[in-house]
Amino acid sequence: MKNLKHIAAFIAIGFVAGGITYLLKPYYPIKFIVLFLFIGFFIVNILIRKSLIFKKYFTSQYNFLTSKIESKHTYDIPIDLMFEKAIEVISNSQFKLVDTNKETMEVLAISKISFKSWGENIYLRFEPNGDKSIMYFCSTTLFQSYSWGKNESNNSVLFNEIEASLTV
Amino acid sequence: MSIIVNLDVVLARRKLKLKELSEMVGVSTVNLSILKQGKVKAIRFSTLNAICLALDCQPGDILEFVEDEN
Repeated sequence: MKNLKHIAAFIAIGFVAGGITYLLKPYYPIKFIVLFLFIGFFIVNILIRKSLIFKKYFTSQYNFLTSKIESKHTYDIPIDLMFEKAIEVISNSQFKLVDTNKETMEVLAISKISFKSWGENIYLRFEPNGDKSIMYFCSTTLFQSYSWGKNESNNSVLFNEIEASLTV
Repeated sequence: MSIIVNLDVVLARRKLKLKELSEMVGVSTVNLSILKQGKVKAIRFSTLNAICLALDCQPGDILEFVEDEN
């Protein structure tokens, strides 16, 4: 069902974009090029969002096309366990686990597409602090400079779910 | 912390591994590992019940109160 929604969204975007570019091409070549670049940039963002390799691109402070928030949480749990715990919590939450890297202790999850947002990328990074672990959270939009509160919501939702999961 | 979790001791006596207990009680190994280290915020009666049933022990065998020096 989720895939159908994504496919439908892609078809709709392609249909609208294709129609507009087809209509503009003969009369407004500059507008056509700008539109083509805009849509191309959007599609590239969608394609590269599902990999930790492009984390720096999305979370960079110089990327003014994305809105992002960062937070830091300390847990009284060793880093290896906390890493596994985060993966387990994300797997059982409204977010979709996309990529993990145990060497760098990084996790990437994405949120659902909604009317307010194209879905956000959620990056988690873990650092050891003695027997404890520090979780660095970053939620960033895909392609919009205002998140309509979605980034803040993701932060509180994930934090609350991790806290709730510590009751076994 | 003044509550000590002796789950590893009971497991060793029963010659069971955490993964086996996880399958028996339906709690993930991550959660049991965190419980074993005494790092959980709370434990449900249902979880305690399942663990006691699986390990044929009493709650007191798993949880122990030790008075803090402070």
